[in-house]
Amino acid sequence: MSTRLYWEIGKRAFQRQLAYRTANLAGLFTNACFGYLRGSVFIALYQTERSIGGYDVSAAVTFTWVTQALIMVVFLWGWWDVEETIRTGDVVSDLAKPFSYLGFWLARDYGRALYHLLFRCCPILLIGEVMFGLRWPTSPVTWAALALSLTLAVAISFAWRFTLNLTAFWTTDARGIGGLASILSTLLCGLLVPLPYFPDTVRRVVEALPFAGILQIPADVFLERVTGAGLLLALGQQALWAGVMLGATQLLVMAATRRVVVQGG
Amino acid sequence: MIRHAALYARLVGARGRGQMQYRLSFATLVLASVLVTLAEFLVVVVIFGRIPHLAGWSLGEVAVLYGLSAISFAMAEMFAAGFDVFPRQIVQGTFDRVLTRPLGAFFQVLASELALRKIGKVAQGAAILVYAQHSLAVHWSPERLVVLALTVVSGTAIFFSLIVICATSCFWTVQANEAVNVLTNGGTAMISYPLDIYHAWLRRLATFVVPLAFVSYYPALYVLDRADPLGLPAWVGFLSPVAAAAFGFLAWTVWSVGVRHYQGTGS
Repeated sequence: MSTRLYWEIGKRAFQRQLAYRTANLAGLFTNACFGYLRGSVFIALYQTERSIGGYDVSAAVTFTWVTQALIMVVFLWGWWDVEETIRTGDVVSDLAKPFSYLGFWLARDYGRALYHLLFRCCPILLIGEVMFGLRWPTSPVTWAALALSLTLAVAISFAWRFTLNLTAFWTTDARGIGGLASILSTLLCGLLVPLPYFPDTVRRVVEALPFAGILQIPADVFLERVTGAGLLLALGQQALWAGVMLGATQLLVMAATRRVVVQGG
Repeated sequence: MIRHAALYARLVGARGRGQMQYRLSFATLVLASVLVTLAEFLVVVVIFGRIPHLAGWSLGEVAVLYGLSAISFAMAEMFAAGFDVFPRQIVQGTFDRVLTRPLGAFFQVLASELALRKIGKVAQGAAILVYAQHSLAVHWSPERLVVLALTVVSGTAIFFSLIVICATSCFWTVQANEAVNVLTNGGTAMISYPLDIYHAWLRRLATFVVPLAFVSYYPALYVLDRADPLGLPAWVGFLSPVAAAAFGFLAWTVWSVGVRHYQGTGS
């Protein structure tokens, strides 16, 4: 299948987002408020400690702002675009089109993610810099690694969200189940607290889970906490989970497609 | 008044029965509302696993702040759920219908919804308070218990008023909804930690403008017998009902102005 097609699909998704300017402004305000509140809490934590879980105060504050900035890039909550097409029946026309159903949605999600990277993530990081002063990457290699890490982070989060949406083929309460599941991913992706803060035994498990690849790893790449071989390992972990999860999602799509019965008329 | 109470029970009872028709959905929603608070509190526990004190506050003391703000916010969300869906009435134009009925608009919006699912979050907040009580050596004198009870009632009223004010902004613009919600969601997050960790302007804002400090912080200082690091006298902890009344009056005024200003969406 031609890459040109998916490129165009992604471009359209990017352009569609441009229409929601006011919503994006409201979201910017929200993320900035939470960045400020959480930043203040982290500064208070370091009144008595120099380092917690390997983060000093400036690393922790930067971590908070980077994760806030990325919430919409990886679309952490409330993405039900696919579920809606399943509920309304529009899914049938998408499945009938001569391209990969998974590829179609993935391309759309990358277009959307690029929009949020430019118009949500970048402004939030600038606001964080003005309010708190952030620790920025020092080497060009980091920026390149960050681009790759974010690409993989979107793939992992997409596969997770897409799977939750696909449950709508089997249940009418996909959003309820998805809501429960996203509490889990919120806790384990590093948004609320950096994963190395967890007790050491728990930490080893949660750092290996795919959710770490959604926010924790990109934020650590930004902070240059992982470099050299460690960086390759972190990116490798993301790539592995992205591959496994997208593969599983494709199998799920195939299983779901077999269930679809189109009523003629 | 009695007529209104009976009518409220009747309208809300119908909503309740409606929610119970989807038992599994309802159970999932209750569970979700429990788990969100639990996950957030778990983060506090994780943090205290790494450090003994946060700005001089122990885990049990922060748990008091957490429990108080969770209970008050959840109760307010439960009763003010009608104001949560109210923006949709404005967008769809169905609010016009509300205005033609022979009952106050405020009452009708209030009675249009009761979010029973929030009961999970209330229970969770109460459990956190019980946990706090176990880990603290506080003597529960009658005065303290009275302050605690008044705080929960006042806190609910303060959050309720805040939700009403946020909803009222829809009379002017329906686009700023998410930004306005920061006041409630961000506010809860803010007062779950000791207020003295924030900059002075934010503390003043939370004391004099949007009196969220009276939902948890000032009463907790009194109950926990802590001196205010900013030098306010201990009786400030008793002022929650006063703050709630003043803020409630403000919410009512804003709402009334909004209803008078409303002209319909036109199309």
